[in-house]
Amino acid sequence: MNARITPLTLFAVLVTLGGCTSLDIGYPETVANRARLASVTPRHVVVGPITDRRIDQTRIGAKPQNGDGIKTRRPVVEIVREAFVVELTKNGHVVVPAEGDIRVAADVEEFWLDAAGHDGATQYVGRVALALVVTDGRGGTTLLTRRYVGTKRVQAEADSKDTWRDAMNIALARVMRDIATDPDLVAALARRPPSARHSADAIRRRSLVEQGAVEPLVLIRGLETTMRGVSPSRAHG
Amino acid sequence: MRRLAVVPSGESKFTMVNDKKVDAGRLLDEVAKWYPKAAALAPLAKAVQRGIDWLADEGRSAAAAQRLGNASPGVVVAEAFARTLLASGQFDEIQTFEREPTGKERQQIDALVRVTVPTLGVVRVREGKPDMMAAYADARAQVVVRPTGVVVWEHEEDVTHAERLPLQAFTGDGELARQELKEVLERAGQRLANEFLYAPNAGR
Repeated sequence: MNARITPLTLFAVLVTLGGCTSLDIGYPETVANRARLASVTPRHVVVGPITDRRIDQTRIGAKPQNGDGIKTRRPVVEIVREAFVVELTKNGHVVVPAEGDIRVAADVEEFWLDAAGHDGATQYVGRVALALVVTDGRGGTTLLTRRYVGTKRVQAEADSKDTWRDAMNIALARVMRDIATDPDLVAALARRPPSARHSADAIRRRSLVEQGAVEPLVLIRGLETTMRGVSPSRAHG
Repeated sequence: MRRLAVVPSGESKFTMVNDKKVDAGRLLDEVAKWYPKAAALAPLAKAVQRGIDWLADEGRSAAAAQRLGNASPGVVVAEAFARTLLASGQFDEIQTFEREPTGKERQQIDALVRVTVPTLGVVRVREGKPDMMAAYADARAQVVVRPTGVVVWEHEEDVTHAERLPLQAFTGDGELARQELKEVLERAGQRLANEFLYAPNAGR
């Protein structure tokens, strides 16, 4: 048998031997709603840079039983970036790679799962802290700087991987919901008029989403290209 | 739904969530310094403590929390909830009441928001030397449309203060403990309001 060891396989083996657990953390489109951000005329938004400012960037927590690391399957900055894309597109805005009306950048200050205890009453607190900077499309004028923190506290077994994942997912979702309902952020976006070229395009795309003709994520120019019909109820989330 | 009344509801319990034995009597003494109405309860709580072990891992209640400074926990959450909704600009009028509005006041509202804080206190969030603690509050909100009485939205929120402090920080500085609890209650009000604003069709 001719077995080849690829770098990915080696990485997986090392992770397994090292006792680390990888969690699939994310902010799926199904949990996002149209909120106050949708009250603004659709904007073309550049998301990024998302910068990892965590002190320990190698893990997001430690297992209560033995202190081994808890990690995310994808880089934390990718998870956060995707969350912004989901929230913005769900609210009718169009995420573009460059030359947008608005730029949303963020520092990931914390993405961590605290644990206290070693039994069925282990206390977990998932915590996500983001420092947001909203500027005009060219990055010249700062429209808003604000820090958002989301937490989720839950009591569960010491080895409950589902609990670890859920705590982090909910902490992330709470941050995104605080952002989506922040009246100052809405005002900042409203102050920045969309370019004429972008405006008509964005309104047309939002209309497609509302009619259920297209998934919001399809609208991310440069990231997705496929279009498919969805039921109106799903489109409205 | 443009005119809301927010009213605190139910009782609140101060708890210490920790799986290690702590000097509950001392903590109560310290809490009593910043928690005027609890002072009368402290001797009772001490007596209770003599009769039972402090099984902190069960989150045993340390004292019934009736007042926090000049306001009950429910009032602090209700006011923060109302402020957040007002700032959103989606409602014409939001009033907070200490009790369920009646008569003309009740007739002038479109919906009633009942806010409850079943538990609040201090929870151990990280092990170490020293263990790190944080103020916490568990809060609920229920929106009832008038005059039908239909519940159109309900939500429970666990809120943990962003700051982690050693237990000694809470027991040694009453003002700090009071401030941490007040902030976590205000945060609970904001979070409940944000979830309400974020809910599909809520308030619209």
